[in-house]
Amino acid sequence: MLAIRFHGRGGQGAKTASRILGTAAFLEGFVAQDSPIYGAERRGAPVAAFTRIAREPIRERGIVAHPNLVVVADASLIGDPAARVLQGVGEKTVVFVNSPLSAEQFRAETSLPGRLTTLDLTEIVVQHFGKRGAISALLGAVAGRLVGLRQGSIHEAIARELAELGLATSDIERNQAVAHQSYETVQPVAIETGVPQPIVPAQLQAPMYEPPTRGTARISAAANSVLRETGGWRTFRPVLVPDKCNGCWLCFVYCPDGVISMTKDDKPVIDYDHCKGCQICVHECPTDALVAEREKGGGVAWRAK
Amino acid sequence: MWQRETFKKIKQIPSEEHVFPGTSLCAGCGGLESLRLAAKVLGDDVLYVNAAGCFTMLAAYPFTPFKGSWLYTTMGSAPAGAQGVRDALDVLIAKGRLPKEEDLKVVVLGGDGSTYDMALSSTSGALYRGLDFYYFCYDNEAYGNTGMQLSSSTPYGARTATSPCSLQHPAGTIQEKKDIFEIWRAHTPPYIATVAPRYPLDLEEKFARAAKFTGPKLFLALSACPTGWLYDPGETPEVARLAVETGLWPLKEAINGQVTHTYIPKLKPVEDYLKLQGRFRHLFEPTRQDEAIRHIQERVDAYWKRVSG
Amino acid sequence: MAGEMMTGNLAAAWGARLSAVDYIPAFPITPQTEIVEALAKWCESGVMAARFVTMDSEHSMMTAAGAAAATGARVFTATSSQGLLYAMEVLYSISGWRAPLVLVNVSRALASPITLEPDHNDVLAARDSGFLQIHAETCQEVLDSILIAYRIAEDERVMLPVIVNLDGFYLSFTREPVILPAPEQVAQFLPPFRPAHLGFKASAPHALGVAVLGGTPYSYFRHQMHLAAMNALDVHSETAAAFERLFGRRYDVVEGYRLDDAEDVLVMTNAFASRGKVAVDAARAEGRRVGLLRLRMIRPWPADAIRGALRSRRAVAVLDQNLAPGQGGILFQEIAACLYHEALRPRALCSFIGGLGGKNLSEGEFRTIFEQTAEAGVREKGIGPVLLYTEAEHREMTQLQMLAAAPGS
Repeated sequence: MLAIRFHGRGGQGAKTASRILGTAAFLEGFVAQDSPIYGAERRGAPVAAFTRIAREPIRERGIVAHPNLVVVADASLIGDPAARVLQGVGEKTVVFVNSPLSAEQFRAETSLPGRLTTLDLTEIVVQHFGKRGAISALLGAVAGRLVGLRQGSIHEAIARELAELGLATSDIERNQAVAHQSYETVQPVAIETGVPQPIVPAQLQAPMYEPPTRGTARISAAANSVLRETGGWRTFRPVLVPDKCNGCWLCFVYCPDGVISMTKDDKPVIDYDHCKGCQICVHECPTDALVAEREKGGGVAWRAK
Repeated sequence: MWQRETFKKIKQIPSEEHVFPGTSLCAGCGGLESLRLAAKVLGDDVLYVNAAGCFTMLAAYPFTPFKGSWLYTTMGSAPAGAQGVRDALDVLIAKGRLPKEEDLKVVVLGGDGSTYDMALSSTSGALYRGLDFYYFCYDNEAYGNTGMQLSSSTPYGARTATSPCSLQHPAGTIQEKKDIFEIWRAHTPPYIATVAPRYPLDLEEKFARAAKFTGPKLFLALSACPTGWLYDPGETPEVARLAVETGLWPLKEAINGQVTHTYIPKLKPVEDYLKLQGRFRHLFEPTRQDEAIRHIQERVDAYWKRVSG
Repeated sequence: MAGEMMTGNLAAAWGARLSAVDYIPAFPITPQTEIVEALAKWCESGVMAARFVTMDSEHSMMTAAGAAAATGARVFTATSSQGLLYAMEVLYSISGWRAPLVLVNVSRALASPITLEPDHNDVLAARDSGFLQIHAETCQEVLDSILIAYRIAEDERVMLPVIVNLDGFYLSFTREPVILPAPEQVAQFLPPFRPAHLGFKASAPHALGVAVLGGTPYSYFRHQMHLAAMNALDVHSETAAAFERLFGRRYDVVEGYRLDDAEDVLVMTNAFASRGKVAVDAARAEGRRVGLLRLRMIRPWPADAIRGALRSRRAVAVLDQNLAPGQGGILFQEIAACLYHEALRPRALCSFIGGLGGKNLSEGEFRTIFEQTAEAGVREKGIGPVLLYTEAEHREMTQLQMLAAAPGS
């Protein structure tokens, strides 16, 4: 059995990618299983999805703890402890990362375990669609290539899964085209199935009674959400071009998360630890003083409209 | 002519934040943007009584974005929770067990699913009893936290997961959006207002005005929703602006039942608004549904004719 | 006889009044309504310093009750049957907030078909909600249990809400003498409500009932509720001792009646337990060695006390005034579960279902229970569930069906 784990941010298409892979394997006559895991659906929040592919009936369920292949839709997830991208990743695990960096560059920067391969899917989407968007078809195609599925079944699986989501035929065809490109371009790494880990009995520890101040789902810390950094959600970051700023405050006013503050001389300061990268400030800046820059050395800048 | 008295200029908007970052709400959430602006007037001496909805994720153990307090109740009874808190605070203050300066503003947070559907009975009860509270409805016109299903706030022509477009119903949703403003107004509470995040001074002014009234103070906040309405998160203010400028989302208030429109829009064609959003895309492609678009336009026109006539 | 004549409903209202509650959100439903009517009158006249608010539903009523308790007020409310189920999700919220309040449930069978008279499917539907449950047999016990309930609920080792249950009609509308404790003594018994984890105020903000993601915190908090509920067993025995010292009346988590040398024991709850005691006396008079165990506290489940009362008996009959379709008697299952590990467990466990929808339990039915239970004990093989439903009743039912049927059908 092959176990594949997809990591993405809500809205990037990790769940759909897991379904594309599952459907493609199913179309080729394998037994397949796919499932997502998420809390309340959140655009930008870490999500994971799982596909299992086998020749025999699959009796495992739920999360994939020991993946053969990990597909990472967004490099920022690797540093996000909530995403648990590295859980169960060993030396033999194949890890695909959507990144403009080569596998060697990426490994040098992150010291990621596993056997690495990368491709800049975001760039492919931006080039073909002219804006950021979901990359489910590309992730599905890359995963399909890495596990050795045929391009034809990926093609058909994309049609089925995106039609299920209500995409127009023209959009599906465009997705198939970029998926095709990703399938052809990604550097394959052979997947090896390792020896199963020995199972150790869990050490149980039943908690004792604690006073309700601690023993109740209750938060007495004030405004401690700032301890939780959401900067990793961004695929693009807003960057100030100081000369163009007229100090109008609109970016500060419109920011939903309140991550922009104004200096005494009316210049915006962006809290990149928490900015989710919605780009409202970029869109609303009347003097184009804020521009969007691709995260992680992408260098692809764009301006609203 | 309606005049803003407290908030005349953008730079009068308080810099101090009361809803802190780090929440798991979607990037570009129009509801959060409205709440953040509202909180700048409400301050920190607030208890938010939350109904099930997207905002439930604001306070998720072990993190809260508020310096004020929070109580998660149920989807159908947050106004009743507000009643219990308000009454308890009053009783404890009256009995001398709580100093007056410990008092809190009680603010219900509810999405449109709660507000228009499930909690209508408990809201009506709170209005009937004249409860002194704020009600903040973040209206994204569908059950958003569950992935966008039809609510009675979903407008005609929008596609949701449970009102898909089909041969029988090519427009998707066939019902008209429930007029919750008028339902509230029929109870004659002292203050009701609609707000939109692209009109921050209008929003701040209304919260400042509401503070003068004792009794129910209700706010209907247009919560442009990139995740559910299918547009780029950066376009939230633009979508909100077009909702207002096309006349689909009138900015207004009602004081003791007397309605005033606080902004007279240019009445751009509704198409300008609809076209931006994936939830209306089926009205334009593969074939243009002129009749459905005309229907939406006619209803807006009729509204503005009625209120200006 | 000391005391005053009053109904179970009025005794419940007195329980709230003597407990000096701050807040009463209310909603009418038969057969509970008298309770909130009495409280409304007392609040209006000023003899009670509480705020009384009529809500728009039981769902809203329970939400307001829980929210007020979470704000630091002592809260009382009451409901029945459909009302309890309509409010059900809120019960889980309140126990999760660990907001201690007292809810009186006046038992009434659940629709459909709709009826007014009692059985216990309503209150037992709440058995897993995190509310503690005390079931009363007499009007006096209703009043006393409310005072005891507040003291247990507000203990830092517990901090859980409590349901005090009484049967509709058989207690709610039945007058009998009730001794009213002196308010000063109640004040001595029941300290002021000063919870450490509750009370919204400007100087000490907190978030309560927040979302948790992932199963770990959920498991932890849910388990804390279990530990808190289990703590209530010890807290109850301390409280009962204090109550007895002050008021001279003794309550335990279970009550044994003529158990000393009983071979066979009948297990019951609530008002019909009085009838069961009469039946025990009658059987004893004829030389049958039978006794009765009345369960007073249902949550937490007093397993040790039950085991202690039932070990070494020949046979045990559980009379459930409820029916779980597809399973049988609800309390029978719990009794059976807690006896399984008892080495000296009874040789036969018998399950009887009776008194559904307020149907009477006759002396003859009790006699049948004792006979069948004795036989089961001799055979060493339990029986049931056996529905207590007589031939005469069945004939009456057949008549009704004939009238209900269209001619010729």
